[in-house]
Amino acid sequence: MKRKTTQSTEDLENEMETLNPEDEEETEKKLKGSKKKASASLTEDGVLRPLKLSKGELYKAPTVEELNQLKEAESLFHCSLLKMQMEELLKEVALSERRKKQMDSFIQQITDLLKSVPETPVVELSDLSWISESGIDVPFILVPEETKGKFHMEPPDSVDLIGSYPLGTCIKPRVSVDLAVTIPASILHPMDGINQRYSRKRALYLAGLAQHLSTSPLVGPLHYSCLHGNRLRPLLLVTPSGKDSNSILLRIHAIPPPDFLKPSRFHPQKNNVRTAWFTGQNAEQESSEPPTPQYNSTVVGDHLPRSHLQFLSAHSDQCPAFREGVALLKVWLRQRELDQGAGCFGGFLASMLLAYLLSTHKVGKTMNAYQLLRNVMHFLASTDLTQNGITLAKHPDSKVPSLHEFHSAFQVVFVDPSGHLNMCADMTACTYKQIQHEASLSLQFWDDPTLDGFQALLMTPKPMIRTYDNVYQLKDLVKMQASCKKLSLLSSLMDYGGNYILTVLPFILSLLQRGLGDRIRLLVHSLPSDPEWPVYSEPPMHKDQPPVSIGLLLNSERALSVLERGPAADSPEAAEFRQLWGSRSELRRFQDGAITEAVLWSGSSTCQRRHVLLEIITHLLELHADIPESCVSFVGGQMDDVIKVEREECSTGEEESLKVVQCFDDLSRKLWQLEGLPLSITSVQGAHPALRYSQVFPPVPVKLSYSYFEREKTSRALVPHEAKPCPYYITPIKVICHMEGSGKWPSDSLAIRHIKAAFHIRLGELLKTQHGYTFRPSPTHLDVWKDGLVFRIQVAYHREPQVLRESVTTEGMLIQRDNAEAQALELETQQKPFLTSTLHGLQQQQPCFSAVCRLAKRWLAAQLFSGDINEEAADLLVASLFLQPAPFTPPSSPQVGFLRFLRLLSTFDWKNNPLVVNLNGKLAACDYTEIKNHFLASRESLPVMFIATPNDKDVSVWTKEGPSVQMLQRVMLVAAESLRVLEAQLINPSLKQDIRVVFRPPLDVYDVLIHLRPQQVPLLSRAVDPPKTTGRQGTLDGDAASSGGAFPVVDFDPVKLYLSELRDAYGDLALFFCDPYGGTVIAVLWKPKAFQPQPFKTSLMNARRVEVTEDTATTVLNVEAIVQDFQIIGEGLVDRVDLRTERWVV
Amino acid sequence: MAAPIKNNASRACVIPGGFTVLSLKFCSDSTAQHQLCVKEHRVRAETNTHRPQDRTLFILNIPPYCSQSVVKDLFSQFGPVQHVELSEKPGAVEDKQPELSPYFTPAQKRCFKVAYVVFKHSSGVAAAKAHPYDSPLIVSTTEKPVQTGLKKWIHEYTQLFIKPGLLQKAVDDFMSQHDKRKEEEAERQKKEAEEQQEDEDGWVKVTKGGKGIKSRPHSEAANQRVLQKEHKKKKRKELLNFYAWQHRDSKREYIAELRRKFEEDKQRIALLRAQRKFRPY
Repeated sequence: MKRKTTQSTEDLENEMETLNPEDEEETEKKLKGSKKKASASLTEDGVLRPLKLSKGELYKAPTVEELNQLKEAESLFHCSLLKMQMEELLKEVALSERRKKQMDSFIQQITDLLKSVPETPVVELSDLSWISESGIDVPFILVPEETKGKFHMEPPDSVDLIGSYPLGTCIKPRVSVDLAVTIPASILHPMDGINQRYSRKRALYLAGLAQHLSTSPLVGPLHYSCLHGNRLRPLLLVTPSGKDSNSILLRIHAIPPPDFLKPSRFHPQKNNVRTAWFTGQNAEQESSEPPTPQYNSTVVGDHLPRSHLQFLSAHSDQCPAFREGVALLKVWLRQRELDQGAGCFGGFLASMLLAYLLSTHKVGKTMNAYQLLRNVMHFLASTDLTQNGITLAKHPDSKVPSLHEFHSAFQVVFVDPSGHLNMCADMTACTYKQIQHEASLSLQFWDDPTLDGFQALLMTPKPMIRTYDNVYQLKDLVKMQASCKKLSLLSSLMDYGGNYILTVLPFILSLLQRGLGDRIRLLVHSLPSDPEWPVYSEPPMHKDQPPVSIGLLLNSERALSVLERGPAADSPEAAEFRQLWGSRSELRRFQDGAITEAVLWSGSSTCQRRHVLLEIITHLLELHADIPESCVSFVGGQMDDVIKVEREECSTGEEESLKVVQCFDDLSRKLWQLEGLPLSITSVQGAHPALRYSQVFPPVPVKLSYSYFEREKTSRALVPHEAKPCPYYITPIKVICHMEGSGKWPSDSLAIRHIKAAFHIRLGELLKTQHGYTFRPSPTHLDVWKDGLVFRIQVAYHREPQVLRESVTTEGMLIQRDNAEAQALELETQQKPFLTSTLHGLQQQQPCFSAVCRLAKRWLAAQLFSGDINEEAADLLVASLFLQPAPFTPPSSPQVGFLRFLRLLSTFDWKNNPLVVNLNGKLAACDYTEIKNHFLASRESLPVMFIATPNDKDVSVWTKEGPSVQMLQRVMLVAAESLRVLEAQLINPSLKQDIRVVFRPPLDVYDVLIHLRPQQVPLLSRAVDPPKTTGRQGTLDGDAASSGGAFPVVDFDPVKLYLSELRDAYGDLALFFCDPYGGTVIAVLWKPKAFQPQPFKTSLMNARRVEVTEDTATTVLNVEAIVQDFQIIGEGLVDRVDLRTERWVV
Repeated sequence: MAAPIKNNASRACVIPGGFTVLSLKFCSDSTAQHQLCVKEHRVRAETNTHRPQDRTLFILNIPPYCSQSVVKDLFSQFGPVQHVELSEKPGAVEDKQPELSPYFTPAQKRCFKVAYVVFKHSSGVAAAKAHPYDSPLIVSTTEKPVQTGLKKWIHEYTQLFIKPGLLQKAVDDFMSQHDKRKEEEAERQKKEAEEQQEDEDGWVKVTKGGKGIKSRPHSEAANQRVLQKEHKKKKRKELLNFYAWQHRDSKREYIAELRRKFEEDKQRIALLRAQRKFRPY
């Protein structure tokens, strides 16, 4: 706190200099100086300040140019900020001139090298002896091994640059330059299109080039890869030797001479891979060979890169912003992990799509990059290429296949300018749907004025695990071979050149789509990545690929339902339904009298039902694709453990929260109906996290064993026993009960307090006589024991804060002055109930809110941050994930919500931005600007973590007390690290580590650890790592009585009491941290200034000792006594105090 | 811990500033000690009769576990103690609120405090000041143990139970007093109002107090409301974009607004650039 004030005074001085000189001219001069200063200080501490411009500068006559510029920013972009952001981004991803020069020279060297490849004698195609001497392998899985044909090496006809580099759409990082090497016609044979002969020759030719290049000292280690995961199109990756090896990457494609093979032979409905050759058996039926569209498009695609480049550069020359538009589009795709792997929507397709829009005049030539991007999004969102394909061919001749023919062979259709090639041949319908989904989402976010669209859409990565509600991984891909057989996909397998994963994937996807139906909104899959392997080793087998992930966006209404209701038993669709679900389908009779086919899955609690989808997926895959259950793993649900209410029962608290809310509703009804109150009740509102579903461990009704406790003398209430372990902790659930306003209320705050106490007694007595509840009144509240729960009713009078603020001046004027007491009361009796009811409403719309919120709070508590970020602030942080999910959709599973919470904590720029949580959608766009302006204007005096809500636009009531700058910094750090560890573990389940790692705080940063005696920690069983057996703590099995009985021990938590005493006494000297849910360690951190020796002063003597040197007395911290006090104050609770003196010296 | 002063061990230890340092242990087998600084209470303009200048001892650094009675016991060894006053900060006592029942007095903060101990005789002060440093005061003895930790918390928990009847009585007592005060106030006002009435000769007696009470109902909020109303009236009468200069001005304002926004955005970009926020990945 001290630090902050010193900083702000400096800033004040700075600003004082910049403000208010009288003379106009002087203003100008000073302003320039101050501006420099402002920008300097700005880079120093990275805080935005309101800008001061002189009148002269603001009101001078504008030039035409300036006017245009301002207007353009206003009308074409949302605002000038967006325009500048885009420009900055493009600068950041563009290649530097220096790097281009480096590349050009390396390309020249390699081109020269390639042209000097020596000739080799002609050998049989299957004879690999000429190459194996050098140890270099062929980048091709030679199955079946037998092939006809001859091969020899010869220098290439030509070496050309193709792809994004010559086009200028190449962006950082992972810059790769594509180099096309034309295989001389003499090596190829006109019949090579058949049976992979051409593809193998191409691979051999690359191997020959690799052999030659490996002898050159210019070249670093060589690798093979393949284009978009297609094993029939291998690539040779060349990097320079030495230090530049990471910055430059050449990809060498071998391509046939143009027009070498007739494209019409590769019509999608023709066959070019013979079954007899592929299976090695002599099949008789020559006539009915299946078509091989995938193989055909591979071969045709190899002929066309040069003409594509020409086509694209013609378009890019016409439209000045073409390159920038493509660059933005590529960034967008890359953030969504769509730009790489098999069936990707890469940069090439992006350029082609833009060219298509240009050629069909859907975008204008003079549009800027931002407009191009928007239009592409719009086109993608509104055009379904799986139904209505598009073509770039202008004047198709008769030989060109029709769009209809393309559609019958491929899932997604986008035909290239030649008319023979479907550029989206390998894309699955799911991937395209994913692109469409992303595009329409993005459009929606661009149009939202309350959102920083740039940040959300171009700067935020969307990895699968953080984007999709549920992620399933298919491991042991080798099992898919069996599914090929089961699904009789031989012809398709032939078409894909033996890649059984790509063969099976579309079938699995459509199967799952059918089975999951309306439970999901979107089904996506990870794109099998491009393998990379050194030239000296064999190509990796298909089974060695990383697991395929399947991501689902859930439809929260239907996703977790246990019943799949099918068609009526006698309808024709019933057979289809039975076929899909197999033995799980059974006839059921429903309440409405219908008898239908249905499938019933298991699971009673929400926690269990979260596994219904897994059950469905494994069942379908096992039934239809022979993929055993062990191959499917569910990423998620691992974290449910830390918020489980009872270890034995499987419930993560949704049901318990509901029970508490129902019990509260009952109580509030009874309060309303009470008779005999002098004033009537105007409202009964909950003000406790349990009543907004966000209590980490919702209170559970308990039945008490009376013998465990001692009795209080007068009321016979239960009291904890000194010698026994701490009793079960019963949370008082706070309820605010507003009484009607009336002239009978006194106008003096002290008297109001007394009247409230009288109300507490009266309410309690009425509840006792009319409903038999046991109660305990106190001046500040009334505790009621009901259904095994305790409600803490607090009577409120709506004018009380007002009364506290009022005072009379000596002149007799009634003035209102805000004070802390009034604020605290308002917070308690008005804002908290309001927040509670609002979030209760949010939970009704977003059933996942509760679980995400509780996970997030569990994490905060476990990492010892719950003292700094209070319950309400955490609730609001989580609510913001649901209310402003951009660039995602609102989370529908606890895990994805939790990951996004960590991401929000670790990346949000609290210094310069308020977090606006638009509860109930009450804030309009103008409110946002108002909040932002106010925030910027008074940043220094506002809380470090600023959260604005519709009712609280400029104070941020929930974060006023903390966290401090230092604590927030630490929270961000820990959140980032937790996120990293957690994601790594979730993505790679083979790591077999405990997910609880992220819930165990690092204790090595603290100065003193106070270890507590576990049996006196009441919430021990809720700890992250609970002991195997915890006692009953004075509870019994069985249902709690609904009323009556002795009053239980309420809100007795020695740890909490101890902490508050410590903070009271030593809060100025040290910080105390503890996990409120069963933590057995209190961590202490000395404040640095506490250790400084101070001159003796009567006001500065607390917990210090005097040291006299000559005739001055100074005081230093009496650490020894303080540490002993820790033990004395916590007697009976403290086990030992661990001084970690390696971190500090007495 | 090194003794702060190289004094003869059995003598009192006095530091610059006139304070005597006493040591204090929680119980006889504690190893660490707190240091209490004591001095006779002497303030130039002390009007408080509770702290007679010659008999009051001023003590710094009372640990949180020492309550009023504990301090009284501790210092009784120097002479009979009349009463003890604990507060968080040294200084004069605030004006006492009307007598409150214990249920309604706010809880005290359990932190280090200062104490004013008033002895019955002034000899107690001198005895305390002469107490040697190396014989520490003991807080918790076997005869008079001081409860801390779990025992204390359980004790405090039992204290939370208040008999509804007692609480009700406390409320009633307070309210009847409150009502009495109110009545008295009303009576006084009435009397003053009567005084302001014309007497039979038509004279009004003008007093000092009457004015304040009469003008009481006017409040800050009401004042503000009146001001706002007038402001609104003014605004309604004004014509907008009527004269040419008004047109010119609004255009100028518009351009200035755009410029201001542009400059702000530029600043924001510069900041983001400085933080390398434009690296998409």
